[in-house]
Amino acid sequence: MTHRRWFTPWLLAGPAIIWLAVFNLWPAVNTVILSFTNAKPLGGGQFTGLENYGRILDDAQLADALLNSIVFMLVCLPLLTVLPLLLALLVQRKIPGITFFRTAFYTPVIASAVVVALIWGWVLDDRGLVNGLLQQSGLADSPVSFLTDRWLLLFSAIALTAWKGLGYYMVIYLSALANVPGELHEAAAVDGASPFRRFWHVTLPGVRPTMMLISVLISVNALRVFSELYVLSNGQGGPGGRDMSVVMLIQMYSRGFTGHLGYASALSLMLFVITLGPMLLLMRLNRKAA
Amino acid sequence: MTSRRSRRPGGFNTPSPAQTAARYLLLLVVLLLVIGPFLWQLSTSLKGPTEDIYTRTPSFLPEDLTFSNYAKVADTIPVWTYALNSLIVAAICIAGNVIGCTLAGYALARLRFRGARLVFGLFLATLVLPGEVTIVSQYVLVRSLGLADTLAGVALPGALAMLNVLLMRTAFAAVPVELDQAALVDGANVWQRLWHVGLPNVRGMLSVIVIFTFIGAWDDFLWPLIVLNDPQKYTLTVGLQYLNGTFSANPRLIAAGTMIAFLPIVVVFAVCQRFFFKGVEEGAVKG
Amino acid sequence: MRRIWAALTTTAVTAAALTGCGLGSGDSKNGDSVASAAATGEVKGKVSLQTWALKPKFTDYVQGVIDGFKKKYPGVEVEWLDQPGEGYSNKVLSQAAAGSLPDVVNLPPDFALPLAKKDLLLDVAKADPKLADEYVAGGVDAYRFAGQDGTYGYPWYLNTDVNYWSSELLGTNGLDPKKLPTTLDELIAQARVMKEKSGGRTYLMSRKPGIGDLYNAGVKIMADDGKSFTFNTPEAAALLDKYRDAFKEGLLPNDVLTNTYAGNTKLFNSGTAAWTTAGANYITALATDNPTLAPKVVPSPAMNTPPLYVQGLSIPKSTKNPAAAVALARWVTDAENQASLAHLTSVFPSTKASANDPFFSRSDGTNAGDAKVIAFTSLAKAKIIQPVQIDDAMSTVINQQIALAISGDATSKQALDSAVEQCNKLLKG
Repeated sequence: MTHRRWFTPWLLAGPAIIWLAVFNLWPAVNTVILSFTNAKPLGGGQFTGLENYGRILDDAQLADALLNSIVFMLVCLPLLTVLPLLLALLVQRKIPGITFFRTAFYTPVIASAVVVALIWGWVLDDRGLVNGLLQQSGLADSPVSFLTDRWLLLFSAIALTAWKGLGYYMVIYLSALANVPGELHEAAAVDGASPFRRFWHVTLPGVRPTMMLISVLISVNALRVFSELYVLSNGQGGPGGRDMSVVMLIQMYSRGFTGHLGYASALSLMLFVITLGPMLLLMRLNRKAA
Repeated sequence: MTSRRSRRPGGFNTPSPAQTAARYLLLLVVLLLVIGPFLWQLSTSLKGPTEDIYTRTPSFLPEDLTFSNYAKVADTIPVWTYALNSLIVAAICIAGNVIGCTLAGYALARLRFRGARLVFGLFLATLVLPGEVTIVSQYVLVRSLGLADTLAGVALPGALAMLNVLLMRTAFAAVPVELDQAALVDGANVWQRLWHVGLPNVRGMLSVIVIFTFIGAWDDFLWPLIVLNDPQKYTLTVGLQYLNGTFSANPRLIAAGTMIAFLPIVVVFAVCQRFFFKGVEEGAVKG
Repeated sequence: MRRIWAALTTTAVTAAALTGCGLGSGDSKNGDSVASAAATGEVKGKVSLQTWALKPKFTDYVQGVIDGFKKKYPGVEVEWLDQPGEGYSNKVLSQAAAGSLPDVVNLPPDFALPLAKKDLLLDVAKADPKLADEYVAGGVDAYRFAGQDGTYGYPWYLNTDVNYWSSELLGTNGLDPKKLPTTLDELIAQARVMKEKSGGRTYLMSRKPGIGDLYNAGVKIMADDGKSFTFNTPEAAALLDKYRDAFKEGLLPNDVLTNTYAGNTKLFNSGTAAWTTAGANYITALATDNPTLAPKVVPSPAMNTPPLYVQGLSIPKSTKNPAAAVALARWVTDAENQASLAHLTSVFPSTKASANDPFFSRSDGTNAGDAKVIAFTSLAKAKIIQPVQIDDAMSTVINQQIALAISGDATSKQALDSAVEQCNKLLKG
């Protein structure tokens, strides 16, 4: 689009670029520097070359963490691209009471992590709600160890992610759905298209860019999952730490007075490089669409 | 605007009663899954001191209904001061995000300029930088700006979130180019096009951003804790940590405390949801 | 979504050193000159005191202590900052990194060690040569670190762990509250009875072993120079084997695998487990959490060596008012002020003068009173069991590996070897 003065776009984007530089890029550069040192929170920081990166290669926990992220992504991606869309379609029509439902569905998003932690710890406990229901209905004889088994813990965290993410993505979809011109639906209806065909040929193409954005967000969030696993495992990451995620490792190595900032920084950079994958994919898709 | 009602966005055929019933049934199932746990927390906060809260058969209805837990929370910490501080931080963040992200989103979506792709890539890249690693760098920065121990310092880093820039860019990109071109033919400059063509079509995304920002600012804990020293300036989430004393803890009080932090956003959201969801739908381009 | 994890975590920190915030050579004042200023200077002017989670329960107490100080030294002004319980290490860390630690800071020994290593704390024994005469040895020793010369804090209040048993759960499951287990083997045997009688609904054992249990099994946790870990011994493996078999038998709930320090107390509060360990003030706290359970709790001394928990007040070298800071730290931790804190709640003074206070050795007949007396008696032989060198990351690693061994997914030896190896790596940095 044309604009008369060359600096107009920079003027508009200026504040955002300043924030980008100051609060994001500068710390990022700092992280790169730190990853080549043995920095501690209080001083330290001799240059140690590639030592931290060598350590990455023989960190058994990291291999588990990456596997966890991949499983997380593979399950979350279909779940959270589709369910919120269906939910958005469910609440899109203005039927009586719909505002109540919309508002209620959004509450998990606005709840703080502390509240969520208390609630889910209780729901999935050996003696919690879910196990109570399972045993009452005869589906299980003894409690299912949702919170202490390597894979069940991971899937519990996925369930928690879905629970908290449902409303978030639903709203993004609602906004996108509203952008699908009504005329298209009307035209399709006049042509006698079934609701399913209209969904497929009108709704889906209309929300496709949003779907792309959402699936990238989900992939990235899966790679950097933290609070769900942290909360459900009391910060322990399950027996042997096999349910740790990469960010949990970063957190473990960087917290406290004796944090290993150098190694944590190297891990962050590695994570960053991995997450570039979905990002580049999005940019490519965007370019194609444009 | 009156024509809007007849033109349901994404409308299907008029549903049969059975379809409507099925829809409500589905809605109720989801509702149960979503808010059941919150009701439990609310019920705990209303239980009296004589009532056992750790039992094998949890009861949702308090036998000994009391609001004294809430009164006790308000007695022990200056809840209203803290809530006001949280509001101030949220207000600064909202103002910053609405203005900054709108401008940047518009530039990225609608103006061609050298380096646009690089800037966009950088914005995207920030989404993966774990905040863990940057928090003390940010603290040092805020302190060197002389904003340590101030609410402005708390609000600053969140006052322009990169994710919101991307969301605004997406919203502006969805506005049909023809509208812009028509305005251009009429001789409108960039600001006029942004104001008259762009903005009216992205109100939905803007209200989404307002709500997201409010929630983020209201729920944040670690960052305000690090920036603030003076207990009078604490935000609500930090202040509520006083309920978790080192000497003893009463889950009823803690439940009441979490409800005090949680219910206001529910109320704010319930009040705003009209604008919020309406805004979301007004994303539809007129005519 | 983006922020919630930040809200939960204890923090990550990029190096303060690289961002140039106050750890440079300009700040490392000569310790001796600060100490002598503290010993000879006049007590006046502004001084700040930072406590940890004493508000709102002890607001009146602390205010009273401060008022007393101001009365004794007219012309002195005290600024009191109380920090919330959560996130305190982040707070202290960012203060230290920014060079803005208050004049007197409540630091537990494991917080004080890294600061002392960075030469940020005042050796209070230099400013106050009578220190060792006035405070109990256990308290003073907590602030002396291997490889560091000096004492880096005034000991403040002490606590230890007491065993608590639910007489009701014991009674209904065929166990006698008068014959409480005093060894691990007795505990396992009674846990078996409990499991059979309750049909696996309640448990007697409620936690996985930790460093303390290894110590009590005669395992040396760390080399004397504090430079490497040594707890991967056959005795340690044998102890874990015992727990692994008990877990397999169903004598411990699944929760123990991911529980942290307070996990057993939660199980006890909810009526799932009949045993927990906790500080001396536990029954009083329980009375508000679970009023029907509290009167049925029976306390008993910790098995083997009880752990000693110490809080203390340190003074950063960077203080601008060393004389007033030392005077204030002394005042807050003096016999009289400590005794009155201990009378308010079940913590114990670290001053020698309070040792003969009959208040601590006489129970009022309630179970809470009994617990206080048991804890006070235990203090005499209590030791700091967990080395201060063990930081967050190391305790996470140790917890994870022990859980792995208990769950049977790795042999005890493998798990211990792996824990020692990882901890040594972390220690070395």
